[in-house]
Amino acid sequence: MLGYICKYAPVEVFESMGVEMERIEPDVTNFNQAEIRMHPNICSFAKGVLEEVMSREYEGVILTTCCDSIRRLYDVLREEFPEKFIYMLDTPRITKDAGITLYEQRIRTMISEYETFSGKRFDEEKFLEYLRGKEEEQQYDIRNSSLNIGIIGARANESIKRILKENGANVAFDLTCTGLGRKILVDENAVMTGYARGLLSQFPCMRMEQAANRDELIRRSAGSVDGIIYHTVQFCDNYAYEYAWLKEWLDRPLLLLETDYTRQSGGQVRTRIEAFLESLAPEKARPEIRRKGDGTMYVMGIDSGSTSTNAVIMDQDRKIKAFSVVRTGAKSGVSADRVLKEVLEKAGLKREDISWIVSTGYGRVSIEFADENVTEISCHGKGAHYFNPKIRTILDIGGQDSKAIRLSESGEVKDFVMNDKCAAGTGRFLEMIARTLEVSLDELGAIALTSKEKIEITSMCSVFAESEVISLIANNKEKADIADGVCHAIANKASGLLRRVGMEPDFMMTGGVAKNPGVVRAVEEKIGSKLYICEEPEIVGAAGAALYALEKMGC
Amino acid sequence: MWIADKYIDYVKEQTSEHPGESWDKMLLGFKLNKLRTKLLPKKGISKGYQKLETMMMSFVADSLARPDSYVWGNIFSPCEIIGCFGLSTLSIECLSCYFSGYHLEDYFIDYAQNTGIAPTLCSYHKTFVGAIDSGAVPVPQYAVTTSLSCDGNLNTFRYLEKKKGVPFTFLDVPYRDDEASVNYLAEQLKEFTAELENRFGKKFDEEKLKSAIRIENETRKELMRFFKLQSERYYPGELISHLYMMMGMHLLIGTQEFLDLIRFMIEDIKNYPKFEGKKILWIHLLPFYQETLQSYFNSNRKYQIIASDIIIDSMEELDADRPFHALAKKIIRNLYNGSYSHKAEMVGHLAETLHPDAVIQFCHWGCKQSSGGSLLLKDKLQEMDIPMLILDGDGIDRRNSHDGQIKTRLEAFLEMLDSGNADETEESAEGEQEKVC
Repeated sequence: MLGYICKYAPVEVFESMGVEMERIEPDVTNFNQAEIRMHPNICSFAKGVLEEVMSREYEGVILTTCCDSIRRLYDVLREEFPEKFIYMLDTPRITKDAGITLYEQRIRTMISEYETFSGKRFDEEKFLEYLRGKEEEQQYDIRNSSLNIGIIGARANESIKRILKENGANVAFDLTCTGLGRKILVDENAVMTGYARGLLSQFPCMRMEQAANRDELIRRSAGSVDGIIYHTVQFCDNYAYEYAWLKEWLDRPLLLLETDYTRQSGGQVRTRIEAFLESLAPEKARPEIRRKGDGTMYVMGIDSGSTSTNAVIMDQDRKIKAFSVVRTGAKSGVSADRVLKEVLEKAGLKREDISWIVSTGYGRVSIEFADENVTEISCHGKGAHYFNPKIRTILDIGGQDSKAIRLSESGEVKDFVMNDKCAAGTGRFLEMIARTLEVSLDELGAIALTSKEKIEITSMCSVFAESEVISLIANNKEKADIADGVCHAIANKASGLLRRVGMEPDFMMTGGVAKNPGVVRAVEEKIGSKLYICEEPEIVGAAGAALYALEKMGC
Repeated sequence: MWIADKYIDYVKEQTSEHPGESWDKMLLGFKLNKLRTKLLPKKGISKGYQKLETMMMSFVADSLARPDSYVWGNIFSPCEIIGCFGLSTLSIECLSCYFSGYHLEDYFIDYAQNTGIAPTLCSYHKTFVGAIDSGAVPVPQYAVTTSLSCDGNLNTFRYLEKKKGVPFTFLDVPYRDDEASVNYLAEQLKEFTAELENRFGKKFDEEKLKSAIRIENETRKELMRFFKLQSERYYPGELISHLYMMMGMHLLIGTQEFLDLIRFMIEDIKNYPKFEGKKILWIHLLPFYQETLQSYFNSNRKYQIIASDIIIDSMEELDADRPFHALAKKIIRNLYNGSYSHKAEMVGHLAETLHPDAVIQFCHWGCKQSSGGSLLLKDKLQEMDIPMLILDGDGIDRRNSHDGQIKTRLEAFLEMLDSGNADETEESAEGEQEKVC
């Protein structure tokens, strides 16, 4: 069996020789092998392929010169498996005749090298027969009954499609690397030339000169769907250019989704996709109303975050009856039980008095007593609108991630961005720095306000920033000044997020970090505008969840 | 330098606040710096490197001052062909470095990232995209890029064509080194030449190109002579001097002026004392702003960078009688093209010629093609008993290079070199690498 990764790979040539071809789709939990053999900053997909090839029995792998990371992957695989057929197929970026001629020649050379390696023979007649027998694969699938989503960008693994299907959305098209069905051109007179021409004339990827055609193809495809997921892979930079370009003119809701091809990022991926779908289809069927107790209806929102678990009980008139905030322990389910008990006590209610419970936050799916779960992005939007209807842009900095959300006048989520698998600019980062400075998290913000000297923390990465702080301590810099520098570093990250989502006032900050006066001041300075912060910024998500519950009950 | 620093701060502030309105001030700064290098050359570096700096400042300042006199390129673009039309090639990598003279790289990088450009992209490209997209820097009428040596080239030029309307020629450099590849690229070079004829309304003179190639052959030979001398004599320069040399070898190669400079350096270096310290062969980019590296390699009698692979990335003599094929072959056989074993072989050849005590590879943030093979190169050099240090950082964005980390790794490595135990303990220095998030 030979593995391959690229749509330009001449798969049918090998299949006609009776070779089993498998597209390598990494499904890995770590990059242990890649860490040893490659540099960490190589594209996650290439690292994933290395892990797969190291753990599976391939006779060889057919790679194409598709990008820098794959070129280096080839070098590593050659070194690692000298006895296997690790082949780098030089694939032209030009699709004109010169490119086709060169590609045909390259394919023929590859065939002859494989013949020598395997002892098998390639027969052009058989190849033609094989091509004739191939059926054209379906490229588009629009369904009227459900939300239609298109996927564009760098290669996407099956998990994105799975999450979409689980949420009732239809994948109308997949224009990523190997997402479209293969295009086979049969030219009876010049079989190999026709075949090479067909391969090079597929929907062009970003490495091809003719990728400018993509705009028109994307414009046409996008017209038929409700929203588009634009997928990029960590450390693959080619597609971000297109995203930056498309978002200027493409008239469709667009979600930028970065993944790293490990299973670990599954939670974040799910949150983003579900929030996106929620923003496209806010209307859902209502459940039957359950009323209990004295006739007043109560609902609850519960937000299970990485640092705190927060609950809000609301009555049918949208008034907060009680709220509670507890620290999230090692198990989110346990913290949820604790906050449930606490908030019910505060409200003087019992569990059965609550008609509907909506959970949100990272741990939303682990809360067994919740009736429904909604992503924290939608909930923050709703919560922010509830506390202050003038808010158009929210900055939410939680323990594990930070996000910026743009709202419409009616409080619907119009767009959002999240930081990616990186602690920089999150509550965790502040905690880490507070520990290094030997102050409590509360003190950190307060002392930052007393700073006298401006210190710039330049590192973008939290690991580097921490060592930078250690160097500053070693240089006898004042804690207050370092704390202020750290707050400004967070503000810089935050302002980047806000700019990406569009800087529409009024602004609100939510999440635990909104309680930090140092960060608040730094963000306000950076964006040149005041931030609205409600009395308890940690319960905005839970309040939003409670509002969802009320909507569900028809209130 | 107080006035210069104030001016830099002023231009930075003006550009960040009104990106479209400060170009004249930036340009004036480049012109003043050109004058400064002529009248008050940097102290503490050799005459040759002083002249090199003046030449590079003049080249950029003069070209930018006349918008119709240059095209954008990348460093592998065929400046020899472009030169035949009386045009300069300003590479986007080098222009980014010049913009960072105003410490504007962070503003431009943030600008690019905020429009959606990947944070993990090479910082040279991000700086350039931000500079152009923000409107801070004007655009020329044409551009050219090769696919060598990274994916960023085609994408950056295409992005700027769409956003700013700068048309460009894309030269697809095949991976394989054979005749078919040479013909394929030579044809593209001919088409590019015809395109320049059309756009700039000038007739192409093949004799001029042949002559440039003859000068180029001579320059490359002389440069190797200079490198050999630099491995024997203390010839004070700075990190940035090597970048200037790289610029010269890619953007001014084929000109008599640059050949004369190398010849001057060959004569000049003979006046300097014998070098007794450790000789370093540098791989890939040099973070010219980095404090620790500056303190060890700027005019230091103990440690001297004797050559860098980015300066001499093509080593063969070109056939001046078939100029397009010769240039195609040169680009295809460049050590940045093809497999990493090809690169390792060429670096190995350089090491055999120049006998360095150690090799340092700088893994520039975002550069997958270079970083991805660093461990393979290390294996190859180990076979040759040459210790190698891999440093992670950023060639232009100070925020991605952490001085503490670089300092610890470099000092540990140099301590090992000095004690002569490099082979046994080198790994432990590598072990300190932190994963970059």
